[in-house]
Amino acid sequence: MKTEEALSIARQLVEEWEFKTKTERPEPNRLDVALTTVDDLIPIVVGLRVIRLGYLAAITGLDLGPDEGDLEILYHFCTAAAVITLRIRIPRQDASVPSLTEIIPSAEAFERELSEMFGVEVVGLRNKMRLYLPEDLPEDVFPMRKDISDQEISQSVTLQEI
Amino acid sequence: MHQRNNYFQNLLSRMKTWSRINSPWVLHFNSGSCNGCDIEILAALTPRYDLERFGVKLKGSPRHADILLCTGGVTRQARDRLLRIYSQMHEPKFVVAIGACALTGGVFRDCYNILGGIEEVIPVDAYIPGCPPRPEAIIDGVVKLLSSLQAPAVSEGDQVVSIDETGAEVR
Amino acid sequence: MSEVGKRESFTVPIGPQHPALKEPEHFLISVDGEIVTDATVRLGYAHRGIEKAVESRTWVQSLYMLERICGICSHIHAMAYCLGVEQLAGVEVPPRAQAIRVLVAELERIHSHLLWFGVAAHEAGFDTLFMYTWRDREKVMDLLEGFSGNRVNYSVNVLGGVKFDIDDTQEIAIREAISFLEERTHHYLDVVTQDAMFLQRTRGIGVMTRSQAEVLGTVGPTARASNVYREIRVEAPYAAYDKYPVKIILDSRGDLEARFVVRLTELFESYRVILEILETLPDGDLTTRIPRRIKAGETVSRVEAPRGELFYFIKSNGSDTPERIRARTPTICNMMSVVKLLVGHQLADVPMILAGVDPCFSCNDRMVVLNRGRKMEQLFTWEALRQYGIDYYQRHSA
Repeated sequence: MKTEEALSIARQLVEEWEFKTKTERPEPNRLDVALTTVDDLIPIVVGLRVIRLGYLAAITGLDLGPDEGDLEILYHFCTAAAVITLRIRIPRQDASVPSLTEIIPSAEAFERELSEMFGVEVVGLRNKMRLYLPEDLPEDVFPMRKDISDQEISQSVTLQEI
Repeated sequence: MHQRNNYFQNLLSRMKTWSRINSPWVLHFNSGSCNGCDIEILAALTPRYDLERFGVKLKGSPRHADILLCTGGVTRQARDRLLRIYSQMHEPKFVVAIGACALTGGVFRDCYNILGGIEEVIPVDAYIPGCPPRPEAIIDGVVKLLSSLQAPAVSEGDQVVSIDETGAEVR
Repeated sequence: MSEVGKRESFTVPIGPQHPALKEPEHFLISVDGEIVTDATVRLGYAHRGIEKAVESRTWVQSLYMLERICGICSHIHAMAYCLGVEQLAGVEVPPRAQAIRVLVAELERIHSHLLWFGVAAHEAGFDTLFMYTWRDREKVMDLLEGFSGNRVNYSVNVLGGVKFDIDDTQEIAIREAISFLEERTHHYLDVVTQDAMFLQRTRGIGVMTRSQAEVLGTVGPTARASNVYREIRVEAPYAAYDKYPVKIILDSRGDLEARFVVRLTELFESYRVILEILETLPDGDLTTRIPRRIKAGETVSRVEAPRGELFYFIKSNGSDTPERIRARTPTICNMMSVVKLLVGHQLADVPMILAGVDPCFSCNDRMVVLNRGRKMEQLFTWEALRQYGIDYYQRHSA
């Protein structure tokens, strides 16, 4: 499917199905879909899957910084050259998104990483084991958040003598 | 190229000497490297460099190894395993840190999951710099370590040898 | 999947070492007799925290870090990053530089596939084949060294172009090497498709159907071996791939043999493209100026690494340090899919199936925890599991 076609189908899906989203074309091959409610995430993903548009290429977490306060989670769906990014802003405290694993089992790795790096609770994710981070890092240390530095992360762990 | 061949011939004949005395078994451990150094260690075992013809064998178990070849800066997850492997090796045992990351942590020095070079965790006997060091430099480093151990006039402080990427010794 | 994080069981270590204290096991596999009933993965062994580190380094410093995410495919990481940053900055890289980037990327693909092929052969117990392929691979290492001065981490990319140029001596050396490798690749393809012992370990093993591959999000040769039309160089050509197009190699069988055939056949495309570039290399500069501060904005840069799609999301806040760099490697996609795929297969096939997706291989220290039910666990070292597979097939060979 050509890029333009893919992106306009995706845009149609979110606009005509009355999801409360804001769409933008930041680059010729990209469509950004900003969700206003996290409840729309699963239905839109199901929609994309039903019309077989795109595969989940990555999930990116963003910390918008202490001024903005929020985190932003990006779900990138790709088909050929087209990249459709679903974006949702969530508050830092009690950050939570629903899991995509019921629909897309391979989302597990991305969600485990998102959860351990940004402190986002992924509701419905069955395997909540840490993926990359070591066990001895305290549970409340989220390395990719902007309010903690490399040194602070290192200092949060006391190395045990063996 | 010509210079390199001569140097390598020289290296080969030195190796034949000590291999009659001793044929060390080595264990290769990656404590958090990007694999660059690991593939050069493996390349040292392949036909062009062929470490094995000098009796240097790659073993899978710490209990059978004389020399531990370590790559990578030590990640937190790797630290325990590295300590355990080192403790399972029998004396006399030697550790070679291979590559910039194994020396000091390299470009990843300040990263939160890297504790630093191998020497942060276990004592190191030889350092081979490079990113990654070429197979000749690795072989040379191991040879220098072993010859420094064979030489009778070696005193305790002399165990550490440093080699640059071309294989020349740096004091 | 049951409570994966809470395993209180009696652990029986198998293999020469590693009593199970706080081991960060890599694979947790549950078996019923010989059949895998469940599998999951735990990584982090080489996790350095690069995505965090680049947020406090300049764009140029970040390049040198990102190059070292993986020593086997360092060029493609640097290329994906540079293409993304150049897109954000709105600069146009000279065509000669883009062509050289593609040439080195294809050389990297060749070295990576040959490396993988040798390692996969070793996993199956074919050590001679491992030695042959790595010996042949040395030809590519020589070319890369002649070009950049280093065998690994060639550091060809700079923001705005490339550092090195191709001269006549190198061109001759490249042509010679390619012609040698072409002949060798034909031989390897014969081995893979005709050798009875090899086929026993690969034909019909680890089958992933097309829809499974699509749903599980596989990328790269692993996906193409299951007839999934996914190849960034073809679908979304970047750098100079629009001028030097690549043909997509697909296989409909979806088994291990198909994964071998796809990668080896891809090599011929790489050889062809390299020779084509040498014929028609455009003249011109090697770099273009790029500002120290990159315009604020976001971009996505997708390239085809030897293992599959490499996805970079780059966000700039207008300063000289990146706001966010997300480097999603292909191995994580394929790792997840293959871990799901293991269910239903025999334990003896696990090493080959895992090797078949071309994971970042280094961890000769990968641990496999085997859950045999009845609260009994066994700890396999990778070596032990590999040997288990080899012994099994020796016992069961026709």
